[in-house]
Amino acid sequence: MASPALQLLTSTAIFSAPLVLGGLGALTSERSGVINIGIEGKMLFAAWAAALGGWASGNPIVGLLAAVLAATVISQAHWALTQAFRIDHVISGMGLNAIAAGATSMLNKSVLSRFAGTRAAALPLPFFWVGAVLATVAVAYVLNQTRGGLRLSAVGHDPEKARQVGLKPVAVRFRALLATGLLAGLAGSLLVSNAGGFTDNMTSGRGYIALAAVILGGWRPWPTLAACVLFGFADALQLQLQGTGLWGAALPPEAWQCLPYVATLVALMAKWGGTKAPAGLGRF
Amino acid sequence: MNLKLVWLIVAGAGLVWAVVASTGTPPPDALREMFSGAFGSPQGWRETLKESTPLLVLGASVFLALKAGLFNIGADGQFVVGGLAAAVVGLRVTGPGGVVLGTLAACLAGSAWALLPGWIKAYRGGHEVITTIMMNNVGRLATTALAAGVLRAPGQQNAETPLLDASTTLPNVVQDGAFRLNWAFFIGLVAVVVTALFFSRTVAGFETAATGSNSRASLFAGIDVRRTTLAAMLVSGAVAGLAGALQVFAVKHQFNADFSPGYGFDALGVALLAAGQAWFVIPSALLFGALARGTSALSIMGVPKGLNGVLLGLVVLVFAAVRYRKEAANG
Repeated sequence: MASPALQLLTSTAIFSAPLVLGGLGALTSERSGVINIGIEGKMLFAAWAAALGGWASGNPIVGLLAAVLAATVISQAHWALTQAFRIDHVISGMGLNAIAAGATSMLNKSVLSRFAGTRAAALPLPFFWVGAVLATVAVAYVLNQTRGGLRLSAVGHDPEKARQVGLKPVAVRFRALLATGLLAGLAGSLLVSNAGGFTDNMTSGRGYIALAAVILGGWRPWPTLAACVLFGFADALQLQLQGTGLWGAALPPEAWQCLPYVATLVALMAKWGGTKAPAGLGRF
Repeated sequence: MNLKLVWLIVAGAGLVWAVVASTGTPPPDALREMFSGAFGSPQGWRETLKESTPLLVLGASVFLALKAGLFNIGADGQFVVGGLAAAVVGLRVTGPGGVVLGTLAACLAGSAWALLPGWIKAYRGGHEVITTIMMNNVGRLATTALAAGVLRAPGQQNAETPLLDASTTLPNVVQDGAFRLNWAFFIGLVAVVVTALFFSRTVAGFETAATGSNSRASLFAGIDVRRTTLAAMLVSGAVAGLAGALQVFAVKHQFNADFSPGYGFDALGVALLAAGQAWFVIPSALLFGALARGTSALSIMGVPKGLNGVLLGLVVLVFAAVRYRKEAANG
């Protein structure tokens, strides 16, 4: 049996990594001006595809690629809905989430049920942990140091001015959402690696928590990672503390499960990062 | 009708076709079964109207907030805590008085659940979508803990309260063979009518709608935008709490852990589909009620209920593509 401290550290890594990958996915699209409440649905679809790929082929790489492909398709659908159809970003994101939750639940019963009882092939967890850190390095570098990243930020900050200097916001956002698809795909694949298969609604709101982390992190990569680790730690802590009372009173497990949500609310109340939103969020 | 929209509808229909076909049921059969499940029999109508009732009230709730420029995703949590409050009061005060007091308690509870998101939005600038989703999670966990703990019915394994006394329930208006219609449905209609009158006849309603359509202009016109935002959220929460009370007194007669199958999200669809016209909440609640009933009838044929979410999402997307495109072109 590992020591409690080590256990806490491991579960913090387990709980934070999908938030980091999903959060960075949300970050790349939000910095380009596309509100990404739909990250939840992208991660969920990616998880379904990762399970299908992993089970059907027995090859973890195929599972990963399937997840990235699925998340990319949904991500570019989101691009089309917000940029070509010009649907409100929150509405289209919620619509995609509803479709993803419903469709993956149906496809789980009809397509995946035959694999029940076995483990879907997936890459080991440490691969994703290293991946999450490398992804943060990469996103921070691309956003702050490269021409493409600065263009992305410019479009997200003020699409009208960006247009006047010759950038095409719609095209820049297309590339930003490709990055979102890649990162959401990694996040979904990680969830399958952790659970060994797909269950209905297995993201269970992690996409929303990841988005909250982006907001707390002021839409910057490293602070976003820090916020994700904080939420992951709250989650790990609730797992560790379950069954423990407080000041002698027995507490139901739900009280500890509330921790990450309450942490989010407190952080938003304290207005951490709240003023650094890309000015062009949701605009054309 | 433009070409892009045709593409969207074709893609949506293709998606529905594919997911239904994957379950082994031919899509045309599924469609027929859905329709007859919702409208083909007295039981079908009964269930459709029963499913529509919370959507009417929650639709009015989300509509109110939407008019003020707020996405009240939290209607679901406000509905759940309202239901719990109604059950707690109804179990202690029996008779019609219990129904009235329970309903008031539910409105207060719903409002309380909207307070924090409303305040954070108005005074801290935190997006209400994130905060209401967090409040939904906390509400679901807190009410489950209570229903499984101190409020659990004696000798019961599941997380549910005891049943209310028959005198502490809302009666049916019509009871004809398999068809039933509860007073709750009419209370829901009244909620929509009051919402419509609020926006068309009162100063507060005008100010709320003005804040929602252009908060900067409203600020310059002398409207207290922050107060209006907070007030809209509180009223929206109270109406969602009312929906919870109606569900307890008319349908469930108790509170249990699976109190809401996601009505709050359906209500968002209802309110969006109403497109700024409060009266349209009525037909759109009926549409989503019929969809919910139709897909649950279909689940007997082995088509999972997830279809409801797919259809809901698609209806919202197609509709938003038609409506919000126009708005983008205007401003």
